[in-house]
Amino acid sequence: MLLEIEKLSVQFKTESGNLLALRDVSFSLEAGEILGVVGESGSGKSVSNLALMGLLPDIAVINTKKVLFQNHPLDLNSQKQLSQLRGKSIAMIFQDPMTALNPSLTVGYQMLETLQTHLGLSKKAAKMKAISLLERVGILSAEQRLKVYPFELSGGMAQRVMIAMSISCNPKLLIADEPTTALDVTIQKQILDLLIDLQREKKMSMIFVSHDLALVKKYSQRIQVMYAGEIIETGPTDQVIKNPHHPYTFGLLKARPSAHAGKTKEHLYAIPGTVPSLRARPSGCQFHPRCNRSTEVCKKTNPSVSSLQPSPLQTSFSCHHPLESL
Amino acid sequence: MNLLSVKNLNKSYVTKKLMGKNEERKVLSNVQFELGENKILGIVGESGCGKSTLAKVLTRLEDFQSGEITLCGQNLREIPQKNLTHLVQMVFQDPYQSLNPRKMAWEIIADPIMVVEKTPRPQAKIQALAMMAKVGLLPELSERYPHQFSGGQRQRIGIARALMLKPKILILDEPVSALDVSIQAQVLNLLLDLQKEFGLSMIFISHDLSVVKHISDETLVLYFGEVVEHGPSENVFKNPQHAYTKTLLESAP
Amino acid sequence: MKEYFSDLWLDIQKNKGAVAGLLFVLLFMILAIIAPLISVYAPDQVIEGALRLPPGSRFQEHFFILGTDDIGRDLWSRLLYGARVSLLVGLSVVFISAGIGTTLGLLSGYYGGWLDRIVIRLMDFVMALPSVLFAIVIVAVLGPGLLNAILAVSIVALPNFTRLIRAQVLAEKNKPYVQAAHLYGASSLRILFKEILPNCIAPLIVQASLGFSDGVLNCAALGFLGLGAQAPTPEWGTMLSDARSYIETSPWMVNAPGICILVVVLSFNLFGDGLRDALDPRLKNRG
Repeated sequence: MLLEIEKLSVQFKTESGNLLALRDVSFSLEAGEILGVVGESGSGKSVSNLALMGLLPDIAVINTKKVLFQNHPLDLNSQKQLSQLRGKSIAMIFQDPMTALNPSLTVGYQMLETLQTHLGLSKKAAKMKAISLLERVGILSAEQRLKVYPFELSGGMAQRVMIAMSISCNPKLLIADEPTTALDVTIQKQILDLLIDLQREKKMSMIFVSHDLALVKKYSQRIQVMYAGEIIETGPTDQVIKNPHHPYTFGLLKARPSAHAGKTKEHLYAIPGTVPSLRARPSGCQFHPRCNRSTEVCKKTNPSVSSLQPSPLQTSFSCHHPLESL
Repeated sequence: MNLLSVKNLNKSYVTKKLMGKNEERKVLSNVQFELGENKILGIVGESGCGKSTLAKVLTRLEDFQSGEITLCGQNLREIPQKNLTHLVQMVFQDPYQSLNPRKMAWEIIADPIMVVEKTPRPQAKIQALAMMAKVGLLPELSERYPHQFSGGQRQRIGIARALMLKPKILILDEPVSALDVSIQAQVLNLLLDLQKEFGLSMIFISHDLSVVKHISDETLVLYFGEVVEHGPSENVFKNPQHAYTKTLLESAP
Repeated sequence: MKEYFSDLWLDIQKNKGAVAGLLFVLLFMILAIIAPLISVYAPDQVIEGALRLPPGSRFQEHFFILGTDDIGRDLWSRLLYGARVSLLVGLSVVFISAGIGTTLGLLSGYYGGWLDRIVIRLMDFVMALPSVLFAIVIVAVLGPGLLNAILAVSIVALPNFTRLIRAQVLAEKNKPYVQAAHLYGASSLRILFKEILPNCIAPLIVQASLGFSDGVLNCAALGFLGLGAQAPTPEWGTMLSDARSYIETSPWMVNAPGICILVVVLSFNLFGDGLRDALDPRLKNRG
């Protein structure tokens, strides 16, 4: 087991009260596994990763029962511990590569700096390493590319550079948070294929966060569906896709049209209502106001705490009235 | 007769340079298509393919260099502004920036008829409330400001505003790409309903193949300003002819 | 809108400096308005023989809470009437410069082209010269006097408003909500004043409160140099200048108007800054 998180909760302290962004989230990650995390805006899908990277703002209050990384306990409130892992054992790729790169420094400067500080290489060795990394992520004439500034790169190129930098220290865990949302479809496929390739080659584990269930379905082995700061369904990807138990997962699958199947100009299955705001959470099951199966129980008690046990091999879900297996 | 016909449309942006020749960048070349009544035409393409420019040309927000655009039998350039407002309206991508943050929802929706038809405020408000009901917004929300709405609700306000003048053609530039999946489906369903109710024709511009496939009768694929594929959506998606369309389809998850 | 301002007020309350600034601003305004009621003498009334009396002194049946000046006028009364002059100066400067500056900024930002180029070059020219120096030049041309000083100071303050509004217009005019207004055929004037201007109001208010203190300060400076208000107008800058020769023997004559200028300028600045901080997140929130 590479990573084990038990009961992670994150609150944001604001002037208008505390906002619960993540509630009792537990999951684990095997070495070499790809975990897909799906959710809409405000579902908290990025929060656990940011907590793991120590990148949450100061107003965040993190509570955990247990966090193990490579079987060592990890304190998510200790910036010291996290900064030792960050960039080395755990690396992260963000949605917008352009803002993650410093616009006033050349690509080469930024890469060499990372390599020299993290790996302690000499300047010459770092340069060699940078060139080989860029070549590995599919950038042609890598040596010349070191001299360019980020704005001279296309979005896809910039994301490749970010990937090259993130794998430079051979991380054990790569977190890709919406890595292709800002990119075109054709580039998206190239980047994701590259990521999967690297993940196999380096035997990394990967957490792949996306709002697009279709992408996660294609690229992950295990899936985690999040809603309003909770994991509402998790399990092996093909099982969850084929047999969604939670009405929300079912709705997400149905609501998204496909380019490969389905009829045109037909009504889509739409989940009514909107994602609850952190300021006005519903009682009981967080999904009940939008759910067509909800009953009195759903309004009163939240099923998540009782029924959700992290077990990697089978689907678990938090619902009082789950959909039956087909 | 076709509602809209576009023939040999060319447009380029010219960058003036301090020294040397002006630089010309072609954004649309020889674009050609027609739009019938009650039809939805989907336009797909990646960033920089000219799809948003096309929307601006069709709404006369921007001019074009050569070609011919005919709207209801009239040359687009010669239609008086007032008549044009009744023919074409547009829904924008960004639900955060497309509504004036200092106006109440009903004012935003009613503004077109107050400007064009000089409808007095009280009547305009009544009509705006009726339109809000049609796009699925509660009339109680009419006095709220844009920041008090969710993304999906804001997009409904944008749609309501565009429909106030009862246009023949509605141009939608990436209307759902800023929305969450579950909200996306709601808005797409709404658009299908409204198309039937108002007898609208739509031009639906998106980078998202699956959405275009779902909503449009015909699909047009733009690649660097050129139409590389055009036909009934079923055919385009089942049996793409151009290599670029094939790549697009393969890349779609 | 109501809710907007009540929220804004909550945010301002959190900033102690801004609240203090606001209190002093209000105090200053009230004192200026009720000056005739609480002053003891007319501002230019000379009490024979009561020359340069220190604060709190008695002279015959008179009592001078802040003392008298070199020709025997009551400082307290003069300061109160001076507040009226400053209030008038500040308001006029803000109205003139904000009025003209906003119009110029709106037009040059919206229409661009040669108009924009001319306006911006003009503003650059005004900004390139030190403000007081430039105001002196204008007054030298127009002739000294309070009205001319106000005019000069307003011209000097123009670029602040013009550039602020122009930048705001440039940011707003390409937003889709403006394009939508074009699409339903709204006229340029309607777009400028009904769509764009309401979105420039917040920074405009901040700039106006900062412009007020600049106006007061610059006018006082002109008065000090003998180019602004002329004797016997009880203007703080002029009073300061008259008192200059007595700084060692009768320091209260210098201190009183000096402290008044300081407090008014400081409180307007504090309030303006607080207002900006309170408005800023709102500006960001609406993306």
